[in-house]
Formats: sequence, C-alpha cells, structure tokens
Amino acid sequence: MESQPELPIPISYVSGRYLLHSIEAVTYLRREHHICGVLIGTLPQNPQQNVFLGLPLELMPEEARLLVDKDVACIVDEAKAQNGMKTLLEEDRRRYLRELEAEGLHYTRLQGDLKDSKREQSLKKIEEKKAKAKAVAAAAAAQTQAAEDTSLEPSQKDTAVVDLFASEDTRSSSPSTSTPPQNAMAITPATSYPPLPTPSSSSHLAAPAVPSSYPLFAHLHSRGYFLSPGLRFGCQYMAYPGDPLRFHSHFLVVSYDWDQNIDLMDLIVGGRLGTGVKKGFLIGGAQKTVDEVDSEADRVDTVRAFSLEWAGM
Amino acid sequence: MADADEEVLQNPANASVQPEVDLSDETQDFRFLNNLNIYADSGSLPRRGEKDFEPNPTEHQTGVLSESRRAMHNALSFPRLHSKKAHVIAFYAPDGYTPLAEIPPPKAPQQTDKSTESAEKPARPTPRSANINPDVCVYVPNPKGPFFKSVGQSDRWNRLWLLPEEALYLIERGSLDIRWPSPTDPAIPGEDGLSIPMSLQAAWASFIGHGGLTLERYSVYSGLKRLGYTLARAPGWCDEAEQREHEQNLAPSPSYNQNIIPKLRGAGLAGILGSLFNWIHDPYSTASTTSGPMIGTGINRHYMDVYRKLAIIPWYDPITASPSNPSDTTAPFRVVFHVWKPSTPVKKSAPPTPEFRVAVLSTRDQTTMPNMTQLGALLESTPLDPPSGEKMERMMYMRLRHGYRNVILAVVDQGVVSYLRVADSAFGKEKLYENQGGPRGPKRGGRGYQKSKKR
Repeated sequence: MESQPELPIPISYVSGRYLLHSIEAVTYLRREHHICGVLIGTLPQNPQQNVFLGLPLELMPEEARLLVDKDVACIVDEAKAQNGMKTLLEEDRRRYLRELEAEGLHYTRLQGDLKDSKREQSLKKIEEKKAKAKAVAAAAAAQTQAAEDTSLEPSQKDTAVVDLFASEDTRSSSPSTSTPPQNAMAITPATSYPPLPTPSSSSHLAAPAVPSSYPLFAHLHSRGYFLSPGLRFGCQYMAYPGDPLRFHSHFLVVSYDWDQNIDLMDLIVGGRLGTGVKKGFLIGGAQKTVDEVDSEADRVDTVRAFSLEWAGM
Repeated sequence: MADADEEVLQNPANASVQPEVDLSDETQDFRFLNNLNIYADSGSLPRRGEKDFEPNPTEHQTGVLSESRRAMHNALSFPRLHSKKAHVIAFYAPDGYTPLAEIPPPKAPQQTDKSTESAEKPARPTPRSANINPDVCVYVPNPKGPFFKSVGQSDRWNRLWLLPEEALYLIERGSLDIRWPSPTDPAIPGEDGLSIPMSLQAAWASFIGHGGLTLERYSVYSGLKRLGYTLARAPGWCDEAEQREHEQNLAPSPSYNQNIIPKLRGAGLAGILGSLFNWIHDPYSTASTTSGPMIGTGINRHYMDVYRKLAIIPWYDPITASPSNPSDTTAPFRVVFHVWKPSTPVKKSAPPTPEFRVAVLSTRDQTTMPNMTQLGALLESTPLDPPSGEKMERMMYMRLRHGYRNVILAVVDQGVVSYLRVADSAFGKEKLYENQGGPRGPKRGGRGYQKSKKR
C-alpha cells in the first residue's frame, strides 16, 4: 500500500490526452501529490454501472504539467512505445507468457480456495443441522442405544475439530484439481511494463501545454487543495479541501487574466450558483504575465484569489 | 476495515432519507464497493456515503481516509480474468480488415494452417465482406457470448470484426482477450501458442486515435454502454462520410413532409370551407395594412380573428423549413452516435430508427457554446421528429420541450461527461389565444387540465 513506484512515473500520452494505467502510480500520486485525475475505465468486477469507475485515470494537462515540473512524472508517447511489442524477442515473449500463466494459476487457485471455503461453510451449516437433529434423535433413543451415542458425541461437540480436518482434506485435494496449467485462467494484464522496458528518458515528450488558468491551478494545489474538472458546476475546477473520496468541494474556481474585464453577470451567475450548492465562487489569476517572469512556475507566486458569496439581499 | 463498513451500514438512517441523486456525479467513497463481494456475480449498488466537511487532524479521519484509499486501491487492482468457459480470444489487426483470400502466394505453406481454422477454402471476398467498415482493427475468430449481438460485423469466414471502441469496451470489462499479431508474419495470428495478450494499457494506446476515435467519443460510448444503451456510429463520424449522410437524410424527409403538410392545410372539405370563409372575412390585404388600421376594416366577429391579424411577426416553422445540406455541419457539431434505449431490440443488420442522436464536444477544444449557424446546421442534419402521442397533444409545455428536431450534446471535460438535449421548439405554432383555458401543462394543473381533457 505504502509502496513508492519508480520515479519519474511515465504518463501515457494518447491522442492528445494524458492517461495513467498503473495502480501503484495512481495511489501514490493521490496520496503524496494530491493528484486525483478522473477515472474513466470500466471496473471488470462490476461493469454495468457508472458510479464506480476504474483505470485508466485521465489527467488534466494541468495535472500532468505540475507533475512533470516537479520531476515526479514524465510524458511518454504510448502508441509509439507499444510498437516495442512487435520487436520483442522470442525468449522474452516466452518468459512473459510463463509469468502470465503463473499469475493465472495463482488466481485460479485463489478462486478455487474461495469456492472451497464457501462450500465448506455451507457444508458446515448443513452438518451442524444434521448433528443437532441427530443429537435430538439420539437423546430420545439414548437409553437404548448407548453405543451409538458415544460415537456421535465427539462429532457434535467438536465440530471445529472435524471441520479442521475437512478443510485440510479439501485443501489437499484442490491443488490436484486446479494445478494443471491448462486450467490456468487467462489474464488481460493492466499495463505493458513488463514485458516492455521502461521508456528511456530520451524518448520523453515535452511538458504538456497548459491553458492560461494554470497559475491559479498550481497556486491552489500548492495550498493543499485537491482540484478536479469543473464541468458539473460550470466552472474550470472544483477545489476540495482534502481527498474527494472523503470531502465535498468548497470552491468553484474560475481563472481570469489579470487585466481581463470581467462581465458582472458572470460574477453574479457564479456567485449565485456557488452559494446555491453550498460552495464559494472563487476567481483568481496571476498578476504577472509570462513575459515578466522566467517560467510558468514563477507566476504561481503572484496569484491572487477572491471568493464570492451571494448575500441574497 | 470491516468495522468501518459495518458502522456505516448499521446507521443507514441518514443515508436512506437522501433524495434521488445521481451517484456518478461525485467521487464516491470506494469503501462502499467493498460491500459488493467481488467474487459474487452481482450486487446492488451501495448508497451514497457521508463525507466530512473539512480535514481535521484527528486519527479517526486519517484512518477512514486511508481505509477509503485502500479500498479504492483494491478495487482498481482487480484483475481481468478469463475463465475457461467464457474465454473469447480476439486478434489485433492494425491494418484493418484483411480477407483470408488476400494471403499472398509466397506464404502459401501457412495457408494450410489458416484453412483448418476457417474450414473453408479462401475465395473472392463477397459483397458482405466489402461492406466492412475500414476502421475495424480487431477480429474474433470464434465469436460466442451475449456481447456480440449488437457489436461487430462478420465476414464470410465467420470472423467478427470489431471497431476500436467496441474492442476497447469489451477488453475493459474483461470479456475479451485480445492478442498481438505475430511479429514474424502479421497476417498469421500467433497460433503457435506464442501470441501475447494485449494489456489494457496497450489497448487504450492502440485503439484511441484509431479511425477517428477520440478519447471524448470513447468516454461517451463506454459511459452509455455501461448503462445498457446500444450505440452505433452515425454517418457524421468522419468527414468522408458526408456524402453517405446526405443520401441517408434525404430518404426519410419526403415521407415526413407528405405526412405533415396535409395536416397543416386542414383536411378535405373543412379545409376548403375554412379557406372560403377566410376569403370572405379576410379584408386585410397589403393595401389595408400599409394605409389603414392594422386589423383591417372588415367584420370581426371574434377576438380570434383580431389576434390572428395581429400576428404580423414572421416565425420559423421547423416543418416547412427548407431541407438543409448536412455537409453544412461543422466539425464537433456533428452527430457521431446513434443511440437506442436498453429496452429496444436492435438488430445489427437492420437497426431501427435511432432514438437519440449524440454529438460529442470536448471542453478543451470547444470552449464556447455553439453559435446559431452551427447549432442550426446540426439540428437540421437530424430528421424531423415532431411531438406526437396523446400526452404531447394535451400538454403544450411538453410539446415545446420536445421540439421538432432534437439532438443530444455530450460535453466532455477531462473524462467528466454532461449531456444536454437541444430541441427546436416552435413557439410560433402554439397559438395561446386559441387556447381558451390558458396555457395548459402539468404546472398549471387543475382547471386548465380538466378543460383540455373534455375537448
């Protein structure tokens, strides 16, 4: 859980968008760098719903840029990288297939064990019922059939012991049924590394281009806010005080340029909407233009932000 | 972990009174997914969880958060397994559809391998094969299972060809095992046991961007597929299809016009009589409006006539509007998906009239609302769909909301999708003055509603 993936984390650049496929990277970035992204994939264990989604994680260009600027991640042209699959040596292919098979076997066993333990539990219940019924019958016939009584007693009292034996029996028998490799389940791996080697640093793409709202994004992020796309509330970003898993968002964020004229209607619309959904409407921007500073990162220090609330008077 | 779950489960009081909310609208606490046994076949979705207002330095909160994260980690690292029974293998064909017959002669020895698979001697491709979409990139040699009912196109060798979005959706949900083509000879799939399964990452990298499939389009596709809708590419998918789209749209429109125009004129004798009366009563000519009073000098027996004459502002009638050229639509404002409800049976070979038409926009590429020209062209590229049915007849607001043409805009912001329905309402066709009971609709209810029923 607390594992740290190898840095920099490769971010897949696919058709103009930024994706993450490695679960380690996703968990790590969320925990250590407050980068949440948006899950856009289907969960194989529950594929017909949209409430819980799975990998990959789509990152905003702003998020990808932030990570690249921090040297935590790098951008990889994934379609090109996948071409490496064609040039994979036969030896490597065989080894990879063997690994997959071993993994598949592991899951087959796991599932087999799970089934066994389930069956065991239900068997146990049935057995207990039977034992009880027998015990009642035996108690009735206790006086006449003393010999049978003694043979029944242990199984009734020490069901736990009996079950231990039973479970051992199934465990010893299950490998013999599920070990043959042809029974191994096939696996669709989540990522391509391995078998592909980690892309070399020379193949990394340039840092992502970001919209003019980036300084405000980076500013809020540096203050510990978790940011996510704001489409649902008609803003640029939603700012969460903590991990969105556990907290509601506090601000609807819209960025403006420093000298930009702001339409009063936009402020009223944002302010009313934000207050209506119990969030603040936050506007802000960087004071300095790109020409005045060395890099985008320097502009972050010059950002000012304001929050609006609809007073309703 | 179990304790925390039970705590929430045992206090459902606060959760049960929640009004109906779209759960997918917010980041959900993955701990609730734990309630679904991942090895069980299915389960109902968990209720909305309680969230805290803001972080505080208590250990309890830290514990709950790390619990949530661990649950998320576990849920997301669930493997995609293919059991022996439901194992469907497919092969990636980066070059698109290749008929078996087109195996070049030098590779004749391998052809024998192939024919065992297909059990049929390669021959000239039939017209059916020729119809296969050029964007297909995955084929299933032995399609079985429920998922192939509504997706894919089969060729004469009984191979099912999948479009990139279909293949990606199936591999994502763990229903398809896609293999890389053999490196030595791409025409021959690795039958030698060395075919490497394609990873999910590779599938996303290979299929997104293939044949016009953008990430936004796929987000919409998979989101609707997960909810059970049936989707098919619409002719507006790519620019080259404009011609086809044009032909398709021309076909249904005449029938619509034939159906509707007679109604407008009023039927038979009544219509003729009506126009006769109009001619008698109708004193207003251009001369009288320019010089005389606006409502003319004739006899006005009824307020209705006065109102009718006062209606001098021209309005847009979606029914009589001239048919447009669908190629007027501009790039993101094009119908790219035809969608059917889960309850509608859709035959692959003869799909029924689409129930929804969806255009996909990305907020990062298209930052403004569409302008009138773009929106008009988009709406006019959809067939006329006038409000019909008893309910629509009765309720004006429903008629206005339904409109005469409609299209759904799927707006995608970095993976978050919102759907907007845009309809062409004809306010000019709703004559409020003819409606003596006043505007009728569910909002007014009461008297107006009763009156309209009697009529």
